[in-house]
Formats: sequence, structure tokens, C-alpha cells
Amino acid sequence: MGKQAIGAIAYNQFNRIDTLLYTLVYPQRPMVITKTIQLIHYDKLPAGQNATVVVMSYSGYDIEDALVLNKASIDRGFGRCQVFRKYTAEMQKYPNGRKDAIVPPMTDPQTGERIPKHAALDDDGLAIVGYKINSGEAMINKASPVDSMTTGIGGDRGPEDYRSAPTTYRIADPAYIDKVMISEIAGDRSIIKVQTRQTRRPELGDKFSSRHGQKGVVGIIVDQEDMPFSDTGLCPDIIMNPHGFPSRMTVGKLLECLTGKASIVHGRPSYGFGDAFRSHPVEEMSKVLVDHGFSWEGKDYFTSGLTGEPLEAYIFNGPIYYQRLKHMVQDKMHSRSRGPRAVLTRQPTEGRSREGGLRLGEMERDCLIAYGASQLLLERLMISSDGAEFDICQRCGLFGYKGYCQTCKSTKEVTQMTMPYAAKLLVQELISMNVGVRLQLEDEFPHPR
Amino acid sequence: MDAFFESGLGLERFFNQPFNQDEGKGDNASPDYNPSQSSSSIDRALSVSPLAKIIRDTVNMADYDHPMHDDIGLGPSVVIHEADSTAVKFEASNVSLPMMNSLRRVMMAEIPTLAIDLVEIEENTSVLADEFIAHRLGLIPLHALGADKLMAQRDCECEQYCDRCSVRLSLHVKCTTDENMNVYARDLIVQSEGDDRYPQRGHPVINDPDGNGTLIIKLRKDQEVKLDCIAKKGIAKEHAKWMATTAVGFEYDPHNNLRHTDLWYEQDPKKEWPLSENAKHEEPHPEGTVFDYDAKPSRFYIRVESSGVLPPDVIVKQGVEVMQKKLAGILHELHNSGDNGMGGAGDEYDGPRSPDVDAGGGDNWDGFQTAYGAVNSTANQSAWGNAGGSTTPGYGTSYGNSGGYTGFN
Ligand SMILES: [Zn+2]
Ligand SMILES: [Zn+2]
Repeated sequence: MGKQAIGAIAYNQFNRIDTLLYTLVYPQRPMVITKTIQLIHYDKLPAGQNATVVVMSYSGYDIEDALVLNKASIDRGFGRCQVFRKYTAEMQKYPNGRKDAIVPPMTDPQTGERIPKHAALDDDGLAIVGYKINSGEAMINKASPVDSMTTGIGGDRGPEDYRSAPTTYRIADPAYIDKVMISEIAGDRSIIKVQTRQTRRPELGDKFSSRHGQKGVVGIIVDQEDMPFSDTGLCPDIIMNPHGFPSRMTVGKLLECLTGKASIVHGRPSYGFGDAFRSHPVEEMSKVLVDHGFSWEGKDYFTSGLTGEPLEAYIFNGPIYYQRLKHMVQDKMHSRSRGPRAVLTRQPTEGRSREGGLRLGEMERDCLIAYGASQLLLERLMISSDGAEFDICQRCGLFGYKGYCQTCKSTKEVTQMTMPYAAKLLVQELISMNVGVRLQLEDEFPHPR
Repeated sequence: MDAFFESGLGLERFFNQPFNQDEGKGDNASPDYNPSQSSSSIDRALSVSPLAKIIRDTVNMADYDHPMHDDIGLGPSVVIHEADSTAVKFEASNVSLPMMNSLRRVMMAEIPTLAIDLVEIEENTSVLADEFIAHRLGLIPLHALGADKLMAQRDCECEQYCDRCSVRLSLHVKCTTDENMNVYARDLIVQSEGDDRYPQRGHPVINDPDGNGTLIIKLRKDQEVKLDCIAKKGIAKEHAKWMATTAVGFEYDPHNNLRHTDLWYEQDPKKEWPLSENAKHEEPHPEGTVFDYDAKPSRFYIRVESSGVLPPDVIVKQGVEVMQKKLAGILHELHNSGDNGMGGAGDEYDGPRSPDVDAGGGDNWDGFQTAYGAVNSTANQSAWGNAGGSTTPGYGTSYGNSGGYTGFN
């Protein structure tokens, strides 16, 4: 319902190729609705599932809105979603008459087999539909002419060579090729689109939300036999911590749960309204529950799956419509020990897409200074970042090179030191602005003379 | 072993039954068992099971006598309240809570059944993605009577699958009409050579009146699905598709005489909390009874509902069996640990387990040698690649020379 919820987006969702498309494998229409839902026909394109929710604390992995998920429910398809991605390549034409081309995959000259990078390619140089594609493998084996600038008039022709410019799959988790489309766009250029598909089951850290803004991430996934269960054997899909209620005051969620529970015990074929304006009154719902041998306030006797003993308290439970939100750990998790560095500063890159490091910012630096952790500071800010060795002439205070000072024409007083590459940049930048910078070096631990 | 029995777990009866570890030679499942027959066949199937022996020993099966009057101090007993082809409801008395809960957990999670685990897709022009269909196929219930006699795939000699460890099913459907076509579980055709003792093994469970079974996919004109499925033995600990049960009801003390739970109420707990169905089998303590703090629950009401892959009584029976095997495995290891060392035991035990976990230990386990890398040169090289000698300070001597454990060298 919210724009982050995963679900059906349109009836033609599998015929179009969206840049990024999330769909739920088993969407369900909500059991408890509002008038608006009816008016906009939400049930025709739903984005969620009716989960059996039990409101109790379980295991401590449910603090701070984290959810406990039933492993068997996930096995059976709860929250399972598909992620589709589009990759495009445009076949360009150049003024000199040359064109981009799709070239067949390369083979290993010794074995005669396809090189690993081209494993997913068909003979025509495009990925095979249904193939599993791994990170680093090419999907569209495009080649561009090296020479695209010459006019092609008379003798003005550059080299005939082509340079490989494939579209490569770059995501760590593999995907399947779902569709390959070839079409033409304005200017007589052809365009090739490849759609990849991943099917994902919920995992630790994936985000879920009810329709009352009660969002939370999966804190633990528990085997069904360990889950609490009612005397009839009913087992929850989700366990939600009751601390989410008092401060949020999401009374609607309680109403939804109660209405939904009354609807299922009664087997009502029509929808139940759960909004605060025209919902079925709580008294009526309670009466339905009592008529079917349940407690009037939606609570039941539950047994611990671990010990077999009854839980001391009675547990509020019932169906609540839960949405899977598109924030998934698989797209976010990231770590780095070594990796690429920025060209100018030689510092580690930033961001997951560039395999970057996590920044130790100014405020974190302040903490280390205040604590006096000087070695850690040195390690974080220089050694593990952009520390570099430089030759400094101790006579003139300028940079030398390979142990020789160009200014003093001498090797005599040139010493090596480590400093951040960014500091060297600063010095050079100042020099370029006619500000002289001279480095005067001292021994950190001078010899007692 | 004696001490174990005296601990009050109520296992005496289970252990006094002959315990057959040899797979394939077991005499406990009646091969001609037919799930469509109801209570008489249940009696017949139970007549050879350990559970049934308990029933025979303690309860007069003819009139389902109430066991509580005369069997105080006797072993466990079972009374069946209801039984049909899909569910069994029974009451177990003179057993401990941990044991009955273990039985419940084992019935849910560790009974070996059959489910499609590997799908080789040759043609799929349907609207559903390959993984989508594979997931749906996995969840189709397959008759699992005799599944425990199949080899586990990881123990089998074959590379991927063979008839000893799997059942092969195929599906080839194409819609040729203008009308949309439904593909059902009945369209799955078993290709493997079956076991004569279990003719139904691996066949999809079909219970609906039309004889269709589960709906797999709908096809439009010219859409085609052609695939091969490999059904393997597994347990629900690994994936819920191997679960033999659906809901398992479990309750004791319906009147809350033991006060294991609180009765939260607004005015009157008696009015606000409807009694469960099982309450009719027990009496509430009369008003003014002095509360017994030491009282322990001993009567349990369990309702096992089958997913259709196994008859409910077989689920209970196999649950007991799996539990026996697990406990026997523990006892076996405890017994042998004195003279055989830690690594020696457990290689005969072959209970159900999750994949890639070497539950029984076995010969390939090096004890503590590899982890601390100290005892001898082979151990040093295997784990951390040390060039020999004790390079891990501290741990070397204290663990290496402890003596007594012959298994270490
Ligand atoms: Zn100088
Ligand atoms: Zn095999």
C-alpha cells in the first residue's frame, strides 16, 4: 500500500521491462479492509499477505520492533518475492559509417570452451534465457569501433578494430535471465534489453510492515516446532513484540487483528471492515469469538514450543495483513578490508557500489582524540587510509625525490617520512598558489646527547 | 543406563521394546497398509508398533477403558479418543511433560517423508518462473509410506540421485485448446521403479473428489511445461515441505489445576474463558482444595493432523521410533565413550538430521586435535597449517598431554 510495499503493480507487469521491479510470489487480498481499499480495488492488485500474528515477547531477538518469523512459513512461501532488473545496450551508429556490433562469445584456445566471463552467452552474443548469471559475466557482448571520430570521407578512415564493451552483471548474488528483447528506437538505432530475475526468501534483516506503519526487521527465524502454539495447534507466522503498541497507539492494528480473527473463526465470505469509521464494532466481533469458543478479547491459551508448558499469560493473536518492504539486506550488506581507492586523494572510496570503506568522520575522530587513543587515530586516519612515504629534505624543507633534493642538489639531508597523501596534496596546492610550505622534521624520540 | 531410567522420564516402556537399527529390515510398518481403511487398519498398523505394545500392555483396547483408576504407578498408557484417515486424537498418561513435548516436536520436524527436491526443467513457456514452479512442486504432498526405507541421498553411493535414494516424477503438459488448462498433481507421472512393498510411495496425494490433487499451474494455448522432478527423503528441520503433520494440538491440565497459566479476566474467569474440548476428560479441583506445589502434569491430549503423506497413526508411531533412535544414539555414545574414545562412537547411529551436519560424530572427527593444533604433527598440519610443534602458546601442553583419552591419538 505504501510505495515501499512489494506486490503486484499492474496486470501487464510480466510483459513490460521495468528498470527495477519487485513482485510478491504469493500476494493475498487483505482480509480486513477499509472503504478506500474497496473504492480503489486494492484487492485486485494486492501487496501483502495475511499473516497469523501473535503478540508476545520471544527470545530477545525481537527488541526494537524486530520480528520473529516462522521458518516453515517462509518455506511455504511467506514473504517470498521476485526482483527483476533491466540492463540495456544501445547499438550506436557513427558518422564514419561504423556501427556497434554484437560479437559471438570468446572461446579458450586450448580447451575450446567458452571463457568463464562468457559462460551465459549464446552463440549470438546475447545471454540465454533461463541461464543463471553470476557476478562478472557478460549479458550483452557488445563491441564498439575503436575509431568513431573520423569522417569516413576519402582517405579519412581510422583503424578497423573493435573494442569490447559488454554489459556485465555486477551483483554479488546470482540471477536468472528472464527476458531478452531486441527493438529499434528513433534514429534507426537498435536497442537490446535484458531482464534478470532473482527469487528471494525472507532473511534476517529484511523489512516488513503492517498497514499501520508498524515496521520492523526480521530479528530471528525460528523453526516451527520451537514456536508457541495454541491448544488447537495453530502456529504463528510472525511474533510481534507488544512494546510496539503503547507509544505508537496503533489501535487500528488491534481492531484489524480482532476483526480478522472473528472473520476466520466464523468463516465469513465477505470482507470485514477494520477502520475506525465503519468497522464492525468490537462488541460484535467479541460476540462472534465467544460463540465459537474463543475468548472475547482475542487472546488464547498458548503453549511454549520449547518446553511444552503453557505460557503464563494468554496471548493476543489473529491475522494481520503484512507487507514486505523493498529494503532487503541482500541489497545493502557490505564490508571491506582492502579495496579500490580514489585516484586524486588515494583514500578509500566511499559507498557500497564502489566497494568503499566506512568513514571515520570528524565526530568519531573527536572521540578518539578525547579518549587519547592516539595509535588508533594514527592507524585509522593514516595507515589504513592514505598514508604514503615521502622524501623530505631537512635542509630546505621541500619534497625530494628518490632520496635526492632537486633544490639543494644533494642527497645529504634527505629523509623518508610517512604522511597522509592528502597532506602532501595540500602542500603542493599551497605551493601552486605561491605559498611556500617547508617541513621541519624532528625526531619523535630524540636521542639524549 | 539404570540411572537414566530412574530419572522419571518414563522411558522404560519405550526402551524395553526391541530396537532395530538396521534400515530396510524393519518389521514395524505393515506393507499392505491402506490409508483409506479407517480405525480397524489403524489398530492393525499399531499392532506391531512400540506404541501399540504400550497400548496393549496397559489399556484394554476393546472397550477403551479409562486408564486412571487402576494404573497408578504403571508405565505410560495411551487412550485413543478419535481416529480417522487424516487425524488422530489421543490421550497419553503417566508420561512426563518433556517427553510428550519431545514427541510433539519430533512428529513435526523429524519424521522422514518424501518431497520433490530437484527439478530439471526442459521446457517452460508458462507464465510462472522456473523457481516458482519448482517451489510449488516441492510443496506437493507425496505418499511417504515407506519413505524411511529409502536411502538418504547424502549417504547413497550415487552422484546425484538413483532409485535407491529417490523417486523420479515427470511432468509434460501442453495446452492445445483455446481454453485455459489446469495442470494438477495427478499429471505428475512416477518414472522410478517402485518398491513392491510400498506401491504408493512417491505418488502425489490426491484427496479431492475430482481426483485432481494440487493445482500446479494454469496454461494458455501453446504454453508448455516439461520437467523432471526428483523426490528425495528428508525431514522438516531442513524444509517444511517434508513435514508430515499440519496442526499438532497439544494440551494438558485443561482446568488449570496446576496453575501453570494465569487466568486474566475482567469479571469472572469462568465466564470469560471457554473450556477446551479436553476439559470433559478431567475434573476440576473442587473449591477449597489445598494447592499442591509439587504436582506434575501426567495426562496429555494430543491431536495429530496429517498433511496426507502418512496416516496419522504412522506419524505417531514413527515419532516414537525417531525419538527412540535419538535417545539410543545418546546412550550408545555415552556407553562407548569410556573405552572407545569420543571419536569412536556414533558411526552406527543414523537418525534423521539436517544436511551437512555430522550429527553422529564418527571417524572423520578428529576430536580436539585440530582445533588447538598441539597433540601431534598430523594434527598441527591439518587445521592451521602450522609447520609442527606447538606454535599456539598455552594450549599445546595442557590439551595435548591430558592422557586417558585414547581417542586423541
Ligand atoms: Zn633541499
Ligand atoms: Zn542414490
